[in-house]
Amino acid sequence: VTAAPTEHKRRVGSLEALLVALMALAISAGTVSTFVANRSDLSTAATVFCGVFVQALPFLVLGVIVSGLIAAFVTAERLARWLPRNPALAVAVAGIGGAALPGCECGSVPVARRLFGAGSSGAAALTFMLSAPAINPVVLVATAVAFPGQPAMVLARCLASLATAVVMGLLWSRFGRAEWVTRKLPDPPADGASRWTVFSEAARHDFLQAAAYLVVGAAAAAALHVLVPAWVFEHLAGQLLLGVITMALLAFVLALCSEADAFVAASLTMLPLIPRLVFLVVGPAIDVKLAAMQAGMFGRRFALRFGTATFVVATVVATLVGLAVL
Amino acid sequence: MSRGTQNLLLLLVGLSTAVMLVKGTYLNYVKPALFPWLIAASAVLIVLGVAAIVRDLRRSGDADPDTGHDHHRPWLVWLLLIPIAMVAFVVPPPLGADGASAQPAVSAPQRRAFPPLPPGDAPTVSLPEVVMRAAADSTNSLDGRTITLTGFSLHRPDGGVDLGRVVIVCCAADAQLARAHLTGPAAAVAAGYPEDTWLRIRGQVVPGSAHPDDGFIPTFAVTDVTRIDKPANTYAY
Repeated sequence: VTAAPTEHKRRVGSLEALLVALMALAISAGTVSTFVANRSDLSTAATVFCGVFVQALPFLVLGVIVSGLIAAFVTAERLARWLPRNPALAVAVAGIGGAALPGCECGSVPVARRLFGAGSSGAAALTFMLSAPAINPVVLVATAVAFPGQPAMVLARCLASLATAVVMGLLWSRFGRAEWVTRKLPDPPADGASRWTVFSEAARHDFLQAAAYLVVGAAAAAALHVLVPAWVFEHLAGQLLLGVITMALLAFVLALCSEADAFVAASLTMLPLIPRLVFLVVGPAIDVKLAAMQAGMFGRRFALRFGTATFVVATVVATLVGLAVL
Repeated sequence: MSRGTQNLLLLLVGLSTAVMLVKGTYLNYVKPALFPWLIAASAVLIVLGVAAIVRDLRRSGDADPDTGHDHHRPWLVWLLLIPIAMVAFVVPPPLGADGASAQPAVSAPQRRAFPPLPPGDAPTVSLPEVVMRAAADSTNSLDGRTITLTGFSLHRPDGGVDLGRVVIVCCAADAQLARAHLTGPAAAVAAGYPEDTWLRIRGQVVPGSAHPDDGFIPTFAVTDVTRIDKPANTYAY
């Protein structure tokens, strides 16, 4: 299945390498397991890694199912027909449409990559990617539960996240360059392939890409989880600007699920509401695992520019909305 | 990396998720509510993996299945071995007190009316709920009620002892520590156990003991301490 037989003689194939790796794992599992359990920092990091990965897995699978369905059923022309001609209007429609995909942010990256086409649908796809994890009903209900008696927080989160998504979509349609997107989707299977083949090949490809980068992101989040928070919280109290910047950075490094971040933000009672709103708006838009996944699905040049811009826009928009609403 | 190896890794991610669900170790990382979603995710991954393997076997005769595929940094797919190794082989343990963030598990105490406690003598209440009620319940439902709590012992630097419980909202990344200071006749018994001993205790929350200077940690007057086995699921939600 893998390669020509002559190649097998020359070097060890990846299949053999995988089998060796699995055998090594099976043999060493007990030792490694004890080693990890006996080191508090290491076991915390390993558990946080598993937490982020396992939590994201169902949402990622949902995302690749949707992206597979898009590959099988939605052509770029059909999408262009659904969206308004006016690019600004298309971006706005995509932003509000994000409310229809309940789930965490990991699922929306592969979906957006599939929707990403030329012209206005590219900007609309990116807007959708940013708004879907932030303004869907599940996340808003979680926010309302986490901040009882403060409905303004829910409103502010919804407004700020939607505004961030729309601003980023408009920025992309004005300044974005197609050549930054260096990762190409695989060629579609030959004409005449069944819908099932198209669907399963697209879902397979997107899962392998996104999950590999999810591993990078989850590992970074786990490492930072062990290394950062101890000293960060002590230097915050009272200062708005410092609080806003710190919470934005914290949202980036902690990489929490958008359905859980409201509860963490609610627990940081020593902070005023605006920095906590910044935390809730930045986290679902861009964090360390999303940056890694965007690099995997779109390419590094894209992720560097788009991720940085998203971080700045989300922080500024959330602060402004917070000043106006809270 | 060949396409066949990628398919196998895809299948293995699905299978190791299934192993984790069968063994119940997923509770170390996420909430029980995620169980059906994880079953579905595992099934989808296994189906996708098997479908790709079958498809390649069928057409292995006529063409090289690698053509037309993205070979841009395919080695990154090897990283999927890490979650496979973690989830199916290494199995990191649930977080303990030092892995959970030390912020109080209670949010801004916007006082509101909580539903009444369960009836009966010494009903079992979860520790995070007690912390929340002590800080924010406008009906003071805890006052004068004897309740039962479970958690692990946590020795304080000042010589006292706390009962702790790790609370997760969504997954282990957002774990927080809920705790109550122990006082009263049986607190010395609890203090006599080593760190991280699982206890079932009976007693009453001291009214007004949760105040902002102390991060709203309530004080619990203990009358009765029983040592218990570490539960299969150590988290509270």
